[in-house]
Amino acid sequence: MNIIVSCKIVPDDQDIQVASDRTLDYSKAKGTVSTYDLNAIEAAAQLAAAVEGSKVTAVTAGPASVDDSKLKKNVLARGVDELVMAADDAYANMDAHATAEALAALVAKAGDWDVVVCGDGSADDYAQQVDVQLAARLGVPVVNAAVKITPEDGALVVERVLEDVVETVRVPLPAVVSVTPDVAVPRIPGMKDILAAGKKPMEVVGAGGGAAASLETVACLAPEQASRKLEILDASSDGAVEQFAAALKAAL
Amino acid sequence: MDFSLTDEQELLLESVREFCERYFTEDVIKEMYETQKMPDEVAEAYRDMGFGLMGIPEEYGGIPADKVTLGLMIEELYHSSGCNHILYQNSLTMFDIVEFGSPEQIQKCMDAYLETGWPLCSLSISEPGAGSDNRNMSCTAKKQDDGTYRLNGQKTWVTMGEHLPYTIVVAKDEDPSRDNAKMSLWLVNMDRAGISTASLHKIGQQCIPFCEVYFDDVVLTEDDRMGAPGDGFMMLMKNFEVERAFLVAEQVGLAQAALEDAAAYANQRIAFNKPIANFQMIQEKLTEMEIRVQNTRNMLYKTLWELDNGISVQLDSALLKRYGCTECFNVADMALAIYGGLGYTTEVRIGRIWADMRGNMFGGGTPEIMAYIAGRQVAKKYAQ
Repeated sequence: MNIIVSCKIVPDDQDIQVASDRTLDYSKAKGTVSTYDLNAIEAAAQLAAAVEGSKVTAVTAGPASVDDSKLKKNVLARGVDELVMAADDAYANMDAHATAEALAALVAKAGDWDVVVCGDGSADDYAQQVDVQLAARLGVPVVNAAVKITPEDGALVVERVLEDVVETVRVPLPAVVSVTPDVAVPRIPGMKDILAAGKKPMEVVGAGGGAAASLETVACLAPEQASRKLEILDASSDGAVEQFAAALKAAL
Repeated sequence: MDFSLTDEQELLLESVREFCERYFTEDVIKEMYETQKMPDEVAEAYRDMGFGLMGIPEEYGGIPADKVTLGLMIEELYHSSGCNHILYQNSLTMFDIVEFGSPEQIQKCMDAYLETGWPLCSLSISEPGAGSDNRNMSCTAKKQDDGTYRLNGQKTWVTMGEHLPYTIVVAKDEDPSRDNAKMSLWLVNMDRAGISTASLHKIGQQCIPFCEVYFDDVVLTEDDRMGAPGDGFMMLMKNFEVERAFLVAEQVGLAQAALEDAAAYANQRIAFNKPIANFQMIQEKLTEMEIRVQNTRNMLYKTLWELDNGISVQLDSALLKRYGCTECFNVADMALAIYGGLGYTTEVRIGRIWADMRGNMFGGGTPEIMAYIAGRQVAKKYAQ
């Protein structure tokens, strides 16, 4: 099975600083693989392990800075066989629409494929849109909220966790499947994986045609700091629980 | 001078941090110190990630690594976990077997490790009457008429001696007298007739227990021998230098954890209406702590680099062990002082780190013995 996993390089959220005017300062934040995509990579690697002769190709698109040797090895050390990356400043700050377009072009480059695995959403924008828009562009079905993927002949049986029900669906291939973090615990790359990563094929291309944004970002600000209300109830007094519930309701 | 790390080293350290976050939770650590052991799950994960195979030649299933990389890994293993677990020590006996053992012994060592995640054996060196004064060792193997040997004597501070199936014993050949410098190494299974143990209780490092081991007419054969007869102590000494450096890597990792805890606490703790980090006495402590950690780290990396480049570290490893283990312990001591009374409780981990680190001043050679080793060399170095 030829498996493609799409992943996004995002600024490491631990090092994003909020300035006094609530704008975000990314200057100290190095690029890292989006947290939710680590689960997708692991799901792809486990699916490959379940079907003999499988290959996992990771695809990503972003600004020129994502073409970083450590980042590439980081992806390739996690059960991925090959990496195809579009690194071009034309691909900076893409919205879901543009991302899906850029990824569709990369998927086309990656040759024959059976399934594209996506994460739940990106760790920065978390729009949860790229999987469906990518599937629409590729003209294939999409299944999201996957917690379990079982390969069958020419299809995948996917367990999806929805708000009040667990649904099992069978989707013919090719298809796009996006996974929740519960699908698989990401592996911790061992030393052998890390050493092998640098020897795996990695292809870096430029932006192939313009990726048009469908959204215009007006502002991106951190939420205003709210002061604590400091309403303290004595749990042992009569009616404290009711008062607590009422206070919660009022605040909502 | 290039202080930057390679991609592979940085990724390795990220993996080590992830490993520690996932497996060394405070609950697990608490349990380790109470039950005096580490869960098998941790040993197995450590093996699966290949960390325990680092530094072992590829032909035996290991992952070749230079000593700087090993030191970086060890430092991060102790920094990120903040506890004195067994993992770095596990590799040491494996290094000894792989270097000095017969092909059968090496195979047995690797099979045991790959199967369980635990090393095959402990290391029995010190004796009640022979620690730093190793010439005074009295444990002796005497050859018998039938070609076998009889091992008699007592060893002490044998880390994990009651938990691992084999032990490497260093014993004098034939004659226990002080004049006899000939010693040999033996790899012996602990369930052999005539071997018994007695637990010892530590004031720190409880998760890596040690014990006394008694040998009473234990029968040895040539198959049990490790390395050439008579050279036993010299073989161990050869590995001591790198082991000392790795022990300092462990110590500086713990010191970094202590420093981070204390600095974070100093920023939060309010006294006299301000965070105590605003007071000069606390600032002086933090400064001294940072200096000691940075100095130790610099000495450590240089010594490891020298080892990688075939430069003698006879002097530098002794200087490093003395300075690094002592001053990193002093970092923990200052961290304890910053915490004040709270630091002397079990509510915070600093007391545990402090007690653990005091033990690392003894292991691998005391600061006093390191001065004895280094002082003579310094005098010689500048002799006119």
